[in-house]
Amino acid sequence: MTKRSFWRLAVTLFICGVCAFFFLPLSKVRLGLDLKGGVHFELEVQSHEALEADLRDTADRLQDRLKEKGLADASVHLDGSPRPIGVRIEGVPADQKAVLEKVTGTFGGFDTNFDAQGALMVQKASYQKLLKEDAGKRALQIIENRVNQFGVAEPEITASGADGNRIVVELPGVGEAERERIKNLLSTPGRLEQRLKSKLDPTGYKGFPTREAALTFFKGQVPPNTELLPEPESERDLRRAGKDVAVKGKVEEKFKSWHLVETKVYVDGGDISDAHRAVNPTTDASEINFTLNRKGADDFSTLTGIASEEGRLISIVLDRKIVSNLSCKEKIPGGSVRVSGSFTKEDADDFALKLKSGAMRASMKFLEEKSMGPSLGADSIKSGVLAALLGFGTIIVGMLIYYKWSGLNAIVALTVNLIVMLGLLGSFNAVITLPGIAGFALTLGMAVDANILIFERIREELKNGKSVAGAIQTGFDRVFWTIVDSHVTQLFSAMLLFIFGTGPVKGFAVTLTVGIVASLFTSIYISRFIYDWILERHPGTKTLSV
Amino acid sequence: MRIFDNLPHIDFMKYKARALSISWGIILICLVAAQPWKGSESHVKLGMQFTGGIDMQVRFKGDVQQDTVRAALGKGGLADAAVVSYGAPTGFRDYSIKVKARKGQDEKDSTAQINKIRNILRALDHTTSGDPRLDLNTESALALTDQWMKSNPLNIQGDETALRIAYEPLVKKIVDARDKSALLTSYSQLPSDLPKVLADLVQKNYRLGGLAFQKQESFSPSISGEWTRKTLTAVAWALGAIMIYVMLRFTWSFAVGGIVSLIHDILMAVGLFTLFGFEYSVPVVASFLILIGYSMADTIVVFDRIRENSHKPEYRRTTISQLVNDSINQTLSRTILTSLSVLFVAICLFVWGGPALRDLSFPLVIGVITGTYSSIYIASPVVVYWEKWFPRQDSLKQKHA
Repeated sequence: MTKRSFWRLAVTLFICGVCAFFFLPLSKVRLGLDLKGGVHFELEVQSHEALEADLRDTADRLQDRLKEKGLADASVHLDGSPRPIGVRIEGVPADQKAVLEKVTGTFGGFDTNFDAQGALMVQKASYQKLLKEDAGKRALQIIENRVNQFGVAEPEITASGADGNRIVVELPGVGEAERERIKNLLSTPGRLEQRLKSKLDPTGYKGFPTREAALTFFKGQVPPNTELLPEPESERDLRRAGKDVAVKGKVEEKFKSWHLVETKVYVDGGDISDAHRAVNPTTDASEINFTLNRKGADDFSTLTGIASEEGRLISIVLDRKIVSNLSCKEKIPGGSVRVSGSFTKEDADDFALKLKSGAMRASMKFLEEKSMGPSLGADSIKSGVLAALLGFGTIIVGMLIYYKWSGLNAIVALTVNLIVMLGLLGSFNAVITLPGIAGFALTLGMAVDANILIFERIREELKNGKSVAGAIQTGFDRVFWTIVDSHVTQLFSAMLLFIFGTGPVKGFAVTLTVGIVASLFTSIYISRFIYDWILERHPGTKTLSV
Repeated sequence: MRIFDNLPHIDFMKYKARALSISWGIILICLVAAQPWKGSESHVKLGMQFTGGIDMQVRFKGDVQQDTVRAALGKGGLADAAVVSYGAPTGFRDYSIKVKARKGQDEKDSTAQINKIRNILRALDHTTSGDPRLDLNTESALALTDQWMKSNPLNIQGDETALRIAYEPLVKKIVDARDKSALLTSYSQLPSDLPKVLADLVQKNYRLGGLAFQKQESFSPSISGEWTRKTLTAVAWALGAIMIYVMLRFTWSFAVGGIVSLIHDILMAVGLFTLFGFEYSVPVVASFLILIGYSMADTIVVFDRIRENSHKPEYRRTTISQLVNDSINQTLSRTILTSLSVLFVAICLFVWGGPALRDLSFPLVIGVITGTYSSIYIASPVVVYWEKWFPRQDSLKQKHA
């Protein structure tokens, strides 16, 4: 064996070895949801909610800041309908303009337009983008936390979509029973807020019976910086009324009362460091205990301070519904809080989970939901693999009959192709999907095309009277660019498929791309090497079996 | 062995006008038959990914008739549900149920609708009606593990981890046995090496229901338009990228010929796919993209030979028709062979690949055939016409590989 052949053999064996390392043992190969069964969700983060939340926060901070600077009369409210688009400041005397400019100047990310009454602050596009991205990242993290705590094996959670506001959650092996519960857990933002019940609402714990009643009381217009929030009927209320508790949750949620609550949020879910369910020893009801971080604890002590001095109620708001109204006798420092409300055991567990995994800035919308039974996948694998093997087998037999010994050359190239493909897929940690199996079979069919091109060309050159060595030489040289051109065009469509598709289609695209690259290598390098090696061992041979 | 013992001399270009009109005629007929301009009334079947809606596949034990399912859904206010029967193993009935989303429907409606359909279907399963026990056939592995870790029928000592280690493999065995046919029909199908206590407990506490939800997909209408847009963009990009590449590597006339033949192949595959009543789904669109790549690769083989021959002295004085004709004849055997190899695979996938791969491989079967044909009869004539209509000096011979 010459040095050149030796090195080529070494390179080939090395590549095969490396590739084999990536996919052996075969248990490393991961199956997609369509083959294994499980649940797939595609969620969209409602990022406009994050923008609104930021506007509300800004309005609150602005009000505080203006108060500090002696502009207590200035009113700050959200501007725009139906969706707020900015913060409007009104009632600033003309001689205080400079103060207003200074205060608004400290809020980065806003464009401020001053006018006679005050100013209008609007979020800059770059700032909005930042907020949206942040909401997306936060949602991704939170979903990861929630799913991990739920205890599903090998969950797959990835961000997708052009703006990064899509989240794909794939949970293998999750069945019907959990699907609904996981869906609920994922879709609710878990936004817990502690606010004060407005001084203007005289109803106390009882609240207004309906929204309409409350609106009539306030003459159709909710006072500024407050909003009306509902309080759902609790299990305890039902029990007291002698109704059947068990039906709760099946019937539509009923609101027992409406309360006027200040929009300012004193403590929010982001400040919660730990939360868990506990059982109240006297009432035997489920409660949620949570601990606040330092900032949260400070805010909470301010809140309880105001509430106890002014004799006002604290409203605990979860996902824009009042969980509980609490009275408070004294300022509570320390940041350890217990919320008792109307929770079933499971509710309390899920709520605690939501609180612990942080509050989302925006809710989720389900774009896609798929659940797949594992039996369907097993059938698909069986028929898919059978079809692929049949196709592959036909090609092998056909090549041997048609090209005789050169057919064997093609088969060696195909085998190396197969090994390289599996190795590349293994190294990407790619997932095998049903269309992926089809892609596998197809690329093998296309890979053999390159060999056919070469063999046909060699036959042609032999017929034109070239020697065996010369025919092989020109055959490969002439066909080289044809093969490159045809592979590149196929690569274009495979790559586009990758960009365009999700899930199973992506699996298809990956196998195709990998197959095209592998085929380029094997047809040009391996097949050539085999011919050269044979020529080396039988120099001056007059016939070639092709 | 070879297809042609001597180089064939078929005058392909003689029939180019006829071929062009026949194949575009077929496309026109498909278009007229499919009536895509009629919107939702047309014969184009779009999958739920494109329209938004619910797509379910269920398996019943026993003889639940298609009409029964349809009637029950109709009674529940879902008269527009499409119920299709699938081939199922003996003793079972498989149905696919599709409900299109209504306009303005949001996710809450779709959840409610899914639950409604599930309840209607459950009511059709009379095999264990009135039995209050849990259904072993619908309980998930996670749920079963949870239940047994709580009741601990094997009296395992130790903490939660110990319990999990003990019960998880047993549950997996049962679930694997169930997954063989989606539904357990008798307790004797439980794995035989299950501990006796557990086997008895399963028989005592669980019933074997006659309904399995094998697949359930729901797509929000808000992203359905997005899929259509994405699809068209992807196809447009693929065509554009290929055109530019061919232009750089060959000349204008080849790029135009290649693109016209690609459009022809796509339209032909789309037309026949629609005509035969197949349903468009995202994997199907993916296979159309593959078709684009394949068809172009096939065309390039012919183009390459035309270019190569155009440099040869013997073609200096011949007509462009002669040059193209000879090139096609010289590459004919390899064109046929390469197409056959891929065609075999595509046909195997179509015939034996199961229902999911059947939809996906149909465009490929059509695409390989038309891709081969169009290399000869669409791409090459366009090159000939283009060179005749826009003659440039030596335009075919300027670029060298």
